Amino acid sequence: MIRMFQAELLKLRRRRVAIGVAVAALAFAAVASTAIFLSASPTAAPGDGRAPTVGQLSAAGGATDAFSLGVSFAGILVLVLFIANFAGEFTQGTFRTLLMREPRRVGLLAGKMAALLVFAAGVLLVAEILSGAASALIAPSQDVATSSWFGLDGLGAAATDYVRALAGITAWALLGAALAIFVRSIPVALGIGIVWSGPLEHLTQDAWGAASGWFPGLLLEALAAGGTDDASVGRALTLVGLYVAIAAGAAALVFARRDITA
Amino acid sequence: MTTSTMPGGDLGYDRATPARAPALSLRGLTKRYGDRVAVDDLTIDVPAGVVAGFVGPNGAGKTTTMAMLLGLVTPTRGDGTVLGEPLSDPAAYLGGVGALIEGPAFYPALSGARNLAVLATAGGHDLTQVPRLLDLVGLGGRADDRVRRYSFGMKQRLGIAAALLGDPRLLILDEPINGLDPAGVHEMRGLIGRLASGERTVLVSSHVLAELEQVCDWLIVIDGGRVIFQGPAAELLNRTGATLVVAPEHPGDLERLRGLLATAGHDVEVGETQLHVEIGDADPRSLAATINRAAGDGGIVLAELHVARTSLEDRYLTMVKEGGDR
Repeated sequence: MIRMFQAELLKLRRRRVAIGVAVAALAFAAVASTAIFLSASPTAAPGDGRAPTVGQLSAAGGATDAFSLGVSFAGILVLVLFIANFAGEFTQGTFRTLLMREPRRVGLLAGKMAALLVFAAGVLLVAEILSGAASALIAPSQDVATSSWFGLDGLGAAATDYVRALAGITAWALLGAALAIFVRSIPVALGIGIVWSGPLEHLTQDAWGAASGWFPGLLLEALAAGGTDDASVGRALTLVGLYVAIAAGAAALVFARRDITA
Repeated sequence: MTTSTMPGGDLGYDRATPARAPALSLRGLTKRYGDRVAVDDLTIDVPAGVVAGFVGPNGAGKTTTMAMLLGLVTPTRGDGTVLGEPLSDPAAYLGGVGALIEGPAFYPALSGARNLAVLATAGGHDLTQVPRLLDLVGLGGRADDRVRRYSFGMKQRLGIAAALLGDPRLLILDEPINGLDPAGVHEMRGLIGRLASGERTVLVSSHVLAELEQVCDWLIVIDGGRVIFQGPAAELLNRTGATLVVAPEHPGDLERLRGLLATAGHDVEVGETQLHVEIGDADPRSLAATINRAAGDGGIVLAELHVARTSLEDRYLTMVKEGGDR
């Protein structure tokens, strides 16, 4: 597992990847912060959706509000990236090559996933720092006070936002990887993943409101939003954790037992 | 004790240690996919230190057998040992095995060197051998190019380099010559020959025996998932029955000549314009003289009289045909 962890990191430790991540994090910080601060209104009004008020942005956690809201939209992207990564190992035949070097299959999967999640955690941290910096730059122009951002409460709020984002990203990543292992095809896995977490869950939610408290994609949205009327953070974490554990366990079992013929 | 040196550098493999057990021993290995039997009760032994050709037509079960050896496919039945370890525990022996199976598979966005480094890390091998292996397969100058820019032949050679990570005692190569141009075939054959020097065992598959004939000293021929022949390549060669080719000056005399020779007790096959007389244990020179005399006594002038040896390829094709007819 440790060897596989190191091997996967070796794939990611490249200048091209570093540049791509830096550009993406900068773009994320700029777009998320600008969008949040420009859409902030002095008082809450109906139809504002998830847009915060100036007062909310001036509170202790205001520095990372843009990060939290931005990351909540990144779930599908993470799902797509992990599906592409894991299903790509099948379609390229590289799982076969790796298994000849590391035949302990569950260890191989665990090492690879751990490396990708460590990498994702690093990217998230960079994105949070950059979006906080961007928010601090934009805040004065929108009359948002920043004095309470830099105290212990502010740091605590930032840490909470980070952990919640990481939990969400981890869940999306594991669900994507599991789906890729089940179907072993990038287009098929992408089709299932996107249709399920996008239109299918939301259409079901329109017809059956309680779906928000049960479906994994909607629960992850609730988690990113810090809880909703239908799903508290605790419920979202518990149920998502259960779904992810089942999916990851089943995927590991399938991967350990299935013949590698491609 | 000696240590081998190969082109491109010393791989540090101790070839002086005598082999104690077969590199590979399979007993009743079977793989079924539903009703289809891919490998049927395969029992083979490959002595340590040989270059074993694993030959059979497409779909004969070669790749499935190799995949079972590599722990990629679970046998339906049967067992065996690889490098003395049980087949059921690939983790125990794969550290001593290098393989290229079902074509080269690499990360196209990574360089050749980075791909090897990833595999070396996953296998717990020394990273310093990567440049030497790339030199060995002639890719030293393209080590930092991304694999997506490699030709098929270059990927194939990179696959060989990957298989050599950790200086394996057993090298398993699945159709390494497939898809290569004539120059690539020549180069790959030479490379296999060099890799086989010393005590390393090489199991190399192909559906064309002629591709392996020059480098193999052991042969396993399979068809329909079953073994047709296994043993020293020379033994198969000895089984290729030599014949005397006899042709009369006038084709019209062919049937009369056949009758004369058959009456004299010779085993004769009739071709279009020639007769083939089985030599068996007889001295070919004496037999030729006897036939020439008999033809002369019968008033037939011979235009052709020479020994013909069935090629290994012909013998293989005959065996495969016989296997298919069963």
